[in-house]
Amino acid sequence: MSKIADVVIIGSGIIGNSTAYYLAKKGYSVTVLEKSKNIGDGGSSRNGGGVRQSGRDLRELPLAMYGVQNLWPGLSEELGVDVEYYQQGNLRLGKTEAHLDILKGIVAKSKPLGLELGMISPEEVKEICPYLSDEVIGACWCPTDGHANPLTATLGYYRRARQLGVKFYTEQEVLSIKKIRGRARQVVTADRVFEGDQVILAAGLESRNIAASVGIDVPMSDILLEVLVTEAQPPMFYQMLGTASADFYGHQTTHGSFVFGGTSGLDAVNKHNGTPVNSSLTASSTCRGILGYLPALKDAKVVRTWAGWIDYCVDAVPVISHVDEVPGLILACGFTGHGFGIGPTAGTLLAQMAAGEETVLDISAFRYDRFKAKI
Amino acid sequence: MKRYDLIVIGAGPAGLSAAAEAASHGLEVVVFDENEKPGGQLFKQIHKFFGSKEHKAKIRGFRIGEDLLRDAEEKGVRVVLDSVVCGLYQDREVLVQTGEKVVHYKADAVIVATGASENMVPFDGWTLPGVIGAGAAQTMMNLHGIKPGKKIVMLGSGNVGLVVSFQLLQAGCEVLAVVDASPRVGGYGVHAAKLARCGVPFHLSHTVIEASGEESVERVTIGQVDKNWQIVEGTEKTFDADTLCLAVGLSPMSQLLKMAGCEMKDTPLGFVPRCDSLGRTSIPGIFVAGDVSGIEEASAAMIEGRISGAAAAEYLGFLDTSLLDETLGRFEMALQSLREGMFAPGMRGKEIRETEEGIPVSTSLLEQGYLGDDELERFPGVVEQRDAVRPVIECTQNIPCNPCQDACKKGCISIGEKITSLPVVNSEGKCTACGMCVAACSGQAIFLVDESFESGYASVTLPYEFYPLPEAGDRGRALDRSGKEICDAEVVEIKSLKAFDSTNLLTMKVPLSYAGQARFFRR
Amino acid sequence: MNVLEDRSIDIGPFVSQGDDETIICRCEEISKGEIRKAVHEGMYTMTEVKRFLRAGMGLCQGQTCGKLVRSIIARELGVNPLDLELPPSRPPVRPVKMDVLASEEFPGAEKS
Repeated sequence: MSKIADVVIIGSGIIGNSTAYYLAKKGYSVTVLEKSKNIGDGGSSRNGGGVRQSGRDLRELPLAMYGVQNLWPGLSEELGVDVEYYQQGNLRLGKTEAHLDILKGIVAKSKPLGLELGMISPEEVKEICPYLSDEVIGACWCPTDGHANPLTATLGYYRRARQLGVKFYTEQEVLSIKKIRGRARQVVTADRVFEGDQVILAAGLESRNIAASVGIDVPMSDILLEVLVTEAQPPMFYQMLGTASADFYGHQTTHGSFVFGGTSGLDAVNKHNGTPVNSSLTASSTCRGILGYLPALKDAKVVRTWAGWIDYCVDAVPVISHVDEVPGLILACGFTGHGFGIGPTAGTLLAQMAAGEETVLDISAFRYDRFKAKI
Repeated sequence: MKRYDLIVIGAGPAGLSAAAEAASHGLEVVVFDENEKPGGQLFKQIHKFFGSKEHKAKIRGFRIGEDLLRDAEEKGVRVVLDSVVCGLYQDREVLVQTGEKVVHYKADAVIVATGASENMVPFDGWTLPGVIGAGAAQTMMNLHGIKPGKKIVMLGSGNVGLVVSFQLLQAGCEVLAVVDASPRVGGYGVHAAKLARCGVPFHLSHTVIEASGEESVERVTIGQVDKNWQIVEGTEKTFDADTLCLAVGLSPMSQLLKMAGCEMKDTPLGFVPRCDSLGRTSIPGIFVAGDVSGIEEASAAMIEGRISGAAAAEYLGFLDTSLLDETLGRFEMALQSLREGMFAPGMRGKEIRETEEGIPVSTSLLEQGYLGDDELERFPGVVEQRDAVRPVIECTQNIPCNPCQDACKKGCISIGEKITSLPVVNSEGKCTACGMCVAACSGQAIFLVDESFESGYASVTLPYEFYPLPEAGDRGRALDRSGKEICDAEVVEIKSLKAFDSTNLLTMKVPLSYAGQARFFRR
Repeated sequence: MNVLEDRSIDIGPFVSQGDDETIICRCEEISKGEIRKAVHEGMYTMTEVKRFLRAGMGLCQGQTCGKLVRSIIARELGVNPLDLELPPSRPPVRPVKMDVLASEEFPGAEKS
């Protein structure tokens, strides 16, 4: 069986789905292939929902700023699904002078690109979020940062793309991409072949094995990320929180629950059983991290924890790139856990790339061939 | 970190049996349970269990629970209550919430025996206060001494629905109806018959349309369903009920196993781990026992627990592999005998027309909850004998149970080797009206009838488990199997022996012509 | 390819029913109609319905409504309920207060 489309996208996460949506809007026929039974089953459904600009690598920051300025504010309306976008700022908190030094470094780094980001006093912190511990002695504050719901955003793009005629196929594990007369054209699964004039590879970690079938490598590894979710609390605050020591991050959702990511410090080497599973240590460690800053949540009940894999790219920014040796192939992977917030921008850029248009932002920093030996 | 040989999760019949068995082979065992009391559902089972001696037949559930707990503790098992196992992680690590902290434990083997939770069914008003699970109703009555309501409708005619309905009557509630969408009673006929003769009507091929009321349930409306499970218009009936009990099945609580990464399988009867006959899951060292691996009776859960406990002992080298088969042999035979007969797991959903003996089954029992007068004589427990007292055994389905045979020392009752066979009353036996068989029958299906009692009168002795007890000389009415008043009756004797274990024997005098129908007494 | 794999197979439009108001997930107060509608919007699996609507995301984590949600989706898609995979089970099995989860004990570990 052969199915032909203008573009075949491998991966139905927020990158694949938003790209599919923007391409369909341009009139392209698109096929999206998903390995699992569920749409958006990877990192797109397993992340903390941050729509942040602050703290980003400078290469990535323009993508984040573009999304916050042009895409996120109207996204719920555009998709017809509440993606629960809040733009009420990001507080990165510090309790020690050493913390403040880290925060000042973040502020200094982002200055050249014009991001509204600065240090604020403990009083100002309290004014923004009165629930924080008195031990907080300062924060870096980005008022235009925010958060959204990764589940409804990812499925919202899927829903709208599907309405526009994008064909989604689940349980289609891609085994290889096959060149036809020198161009990437066929996408091969266990029992089917899908064809497209262009192929976009947005399959998270799995992208590495699939890219290998056309002799391309994206240097990625997996890191287990764990998140906990509380029962609904009365509305408290809608800022995104993080800390200088990176021991937790999170926010309150529309539903009232809090969603917090955190760490045991052992995450980079956690083992698993083939699926991302929680370790026995992380949730407790995260709770201690949270309560150190938000003692008011001590009685909030944790209803579930979950884990996912970060497709950690060796230099911590993604690959968004055509491939010279494999014309017709576009790579979109290695988002390193930052992919959700810049997902709509990445989708916009990828759709432009597939359409042969000039991209609205410079993407040369995300080329696939940037990885070199250090000596 | 503290390392046990074996952690058992759940102190119900399966978990305690597994712990006791493993400890008897020398394992250091701890059992965690989230409840404040051990025993799982056993401690609220006030009825006598079925089976044979090895299954603890004719012993009331809570006593079995007490014995099991004592046995486990005597063997050195540590039972830790009020402790929720929050997670089962890699390397057989469990995280246990106890009090205001969480505690990490590891073991070389883990037996998950977490049981099941009650199913719900949605209809208008199902979230109103007053709609409760039958198991929850049982907990209220039998553990906390609280009546769940005054006027009750029971949805579900499986054994849970039937047993709990009877206990509701015992607690002094009024059971207005037992309702089931199926055209036939789902549970044991003897359980249905106990309810029917007390006057509880069965509405089969009916389901609940709505529960309604201002703040809680005040009315329950049911209607007849057609072959496609759609309500037949115009068949609605409304009861002024304050409580609707749901006994619509159980679902295994298998989350811990799925979380741990055990291979699971989805079946119409629940989401359960793949495991072999010894309870070994796909992960070495993780075992299962009881309802979490598939819903059955508590008697089966106890044997499964024994088997998993022995398998864990063998896994850890406490029980020599060559001795495992021998140890398991007797358990497996006991388990097999419970899994035979008309209600065996393999028989679910099948329509049975004849007993193992080739006797046509009673359709009245299946469709109305009681035996028809004209159906009785074809069963071997009912014999004609006008000149002396005799047992009448209204046990007409092949269920694994034989205490009546052991109870009679006079050779009046025989079942034989196969415990699902129907009891046969032997007219050569010399019945002395000792009443042991009446009290021993967990289904309360045995009566003593003496048609030579007095000129023009017969005596009928029946099992009676309601308080306050009537007294000799009390006059009232006799009810037939359908619960209809048929004639005057006078209590001639109340017998309450210790050996009867709280089943009182009420003997009433009725006009001779009613000897074959009078089966209950009402003041 | 069946409807579970090919999301472009037409399952017909959403048509409202008399019992659409009936609450199915009582923790999150999600009605039968909302679930049916989500199916027609492309949410073909229990996990997708859970993520899109929150059905099964509440205090009981779907132990009560799981089977009900599954049968509704299955009927809408015309598939066997057993063909629909249940969402993953995740710790904690019962809700735990944050300060309790933060207080860990490792019995026997003090010997180090």
